Amino acid sequence: MKVNTNSEITAILATNNDGIVYQFNTDAETLLGYSSKEIIGLEKAPFFLIEEEFNNFRKDIANRYKENLDSDPYKLLAKYNGYDSREWTIIKKDGSRFVGHSTLTPLKNEHGENTGFLRIIKNITNQKETENELLRKNQVLNAAEKISMMGHWQLDTIADSVKWSSNLFNIFEVDTNQALRFETYFNFVHPEDKAIVSASFDKSIKDKVFYDLLHRIKSTSGKTKTVQLLGEVLTDNAGNVIEIIGTCQDVTQQRMAEIKFKGLLESAPDAMVIVNDSGKIQLVNKQAEKLFGYRSQELINKPVELLIPDKYKHTSHRENFFSMPKTRKMGEEGDDLYGLNKNGIEIPIQISLSPLKTEEGLLVSAAIRDITIQKIAEKKIIEAKNSLEILANKLTIQNTQLADFAQITSHNLRAPVSNLNSLLDFYNIAETEDEKVILFEKFEIVINHLTETLNTLIKALKTKNETVKNIETIMFDDVLIKTKEILSGQILKTGAKITTDFSQSPHIEYNKFYLESIFLNLLSNAIKYKSEERAPEIFIQSVIEEGVQKLMFKDNGLGINLKRHGHKIFGLNKVFHRHPDAKGVGLFMTKTQIESLGGNITVESEVNIGSSFNINFNK
Amino acid sequence: MNKNFNFCIVDDDDIYQFAIKKTIESLNLTQKIIAFSDGEEALNFMIENLNNDEELPDVILLDINMPIMDGFQFMEEYIQIKPKLGKKITIYMVSSSVDQTDIDRANRISDVSDYIIKPIKPGKIKSIIEKLSMQEN
Repeated sequence: MKVNTNSEITAILATNNDGIVYQFNTDAETLLGYSSKEIIGLEKAPFFLIEEEFNNFRKDIANRYKENLDSDPYKLLAKYNGYDSREWTIIKKDGSRFVGHSTLTPLKNEHGENTGFLRIIKNITNQKETENELLRKNQVLNAAEKISMMGHWQLDTIADSVKWSSNLFNIFEVDTNQALRFETYFNFVHPEDKAIVSASFDKSIKDKVFYDLLHRIKSTSGKTKTVQLLGEVLTDNAGNVIEIIGTCQDVTQQRMAEIKFKGLLESAPDAMVIVNDSGKIQLVNKQAEKLFGYRSQELINKPVELLIPDKYKHTSHRENFFSMPKTRKMGEEGDDLYGLNKNGIEIPIQISLSPLKTEEGLLVSAAIRDITIQKIAEKKIIEAKNSLEILANKLTIQNTQLADFAQITSHNLRAPVSNLNSLLDFYNIAETEDEKVILFEKFEIVINHLTETLNTLIKALKTKNETVKNIETIMFDDVLIKTKEILSGQILKTGAKITTDFSQSPHIEYNKFYLESIFLNLLSNAIKYKSEERAPEIFIQSVIEEGVQKLMFKDNGLGINLKRHGHKIFGLNKVFHRHPDAKGVGLFMTKTQIESLGGNITVESEVNIGSSFNINFNK
Repeated sequence: MNKNFNFCIVDDDDIYQFAIKKTIESLNLTQKIIAFSDGEEALNFMIENLNNDEELPDVILLDINMPIMDGFQFMEEYIQIKPKLGKKITIYMVSSSVDQTDIDRANRISDVSDYIIKPIKPGKIKSIIEKLSMQEN
């Protein structure tokens, strides 16, 4: 409060030409701290002024009137009838100082002669402080604008005057003395952006709302900069636009960073979709546009579910991700994932999700890869693998057959040959004719046996290699009747009972000769290897299971020790019973015939209970 | 070479049996030759004569390929009864098979001394007997 009163105080000092104070008012007492008694009558140089400031004052006055620098400034003022008004630092009686505004005026009598001087002093400390504060704030503002590369402007639409802050001059690289008009700004706008800026300004004035604007300028030096314009439209009471104020920020660097980021995004090999925490698409790149068939504008701010087929739409997935954001992959290793394009077509994809922290909150960037080609390749590989497996199976079968033949050559051909050699050795050293006769009988046995084996082998080879098989529709009943006729003697002798059930599958497309041979071999085996204790009971059934035609021969005969003989039951010349007729040819031929038509034969058996042969005609 | 050995032939091939018997007999070195047509018959004979050294063979010429019980199956059973046998028996596997898998399989059985490919020449029988005599002495 005291300071405020001081500011209104006006101290008045009057001196005569000799410098003697003759008037010193109350305000002067208050301001300077001296009483009028102390001052009036004093004859001396102004004691309350600072010598340095006084010297400056002297110089100023001398310069003003182009007089000698040593001249008495008072006399000069009187001479030229001038006055001086300036700030002085005033020293109070107690030695403290304040800034005062002092006016010095020469006094004249009625004759126009100089009689003395009048000095009026006002305390302007408070004003000065305010001024300093303003200056300081202005400096801060300037600094702030410089740091943020921002300037501010005022457009008075009534007076058509424009004001720029000093940093705005910097941004546009314009001299601060340059006269400003609305066009000044507009002239700097980048040629390609002029239309947009002009339209936006017109619209702002029309709607009385400032539309924020991002555009490029070309500065005086020719630099292209990107600026962000924010503003406010001011109107009078009648609603007429009177002024627009706003800021202009050089966002070139941010823009560059953004462009760089976008460039990175565009150069990414995958489709990129950036989504915010409420599932709205924020940004997509060209690859994403291509992949999904939408244009960028059609996707921005749309829910990301637009790109996901119905069956995979689970917003909970998204929420989970935002609650625990970390990079992860989806759509790999059996976890099939699909995207949905604009035409509603599902595309097989792989997704890599990663969190992206930004000022606007957490975003998720999804790198999406179209794996259609991989899927096709995968399918091809699987197909190739499958056909390889089929081929491998075929080869395995052929290998087994080759192994079978190797076995046959080893055992069934080599053995009689080595016997012939031994017999020949004995024959050569035989001393008696009787001995030779005996040996010759043995030769005959071996040769007969060898011939039989060769005939069987030739038959088997023919079966395996025959490409054209005469396939016809055959009734199982017909084949059975024929077989029974052939075996009628044995059936009668053993009292064999044969029952059948061909109701499920009464006929088959097959080679008639093979089927008759199969029936004859299996049926005659069942009778031949009957149990000593019971009459043979044979049951034959035809069924279709899962599209496979099957035939089963079940008997109650001797059975075979499968643990011991299982591996060679269908081999050539393998016999399992000490039966005089056992030759080990029947099952070998049966198997060869069935396999040559793409089927297989298996056996289940238990010693003394019976055997069951199961044929799958087409496995 | 004074001791005569018991020979046992296990083979379903009559002609082979005839030939090998004739070969062994011609050497005049053996006491007894017994022959079986398959492994089971041979095994049953041995089980019946576990401690009858007079009857038990010193050498078995075992065929691989036989009905009922083949050579390999016989060896499996033989290993079971071996601890009960009172006599050391030398076993040779004999086959017309030149199939390497058969040869390897036979050689993996520790109780099989060797694998002989048919036909067996007289010299082979001789060397078998010589080897046995050396072990006896």
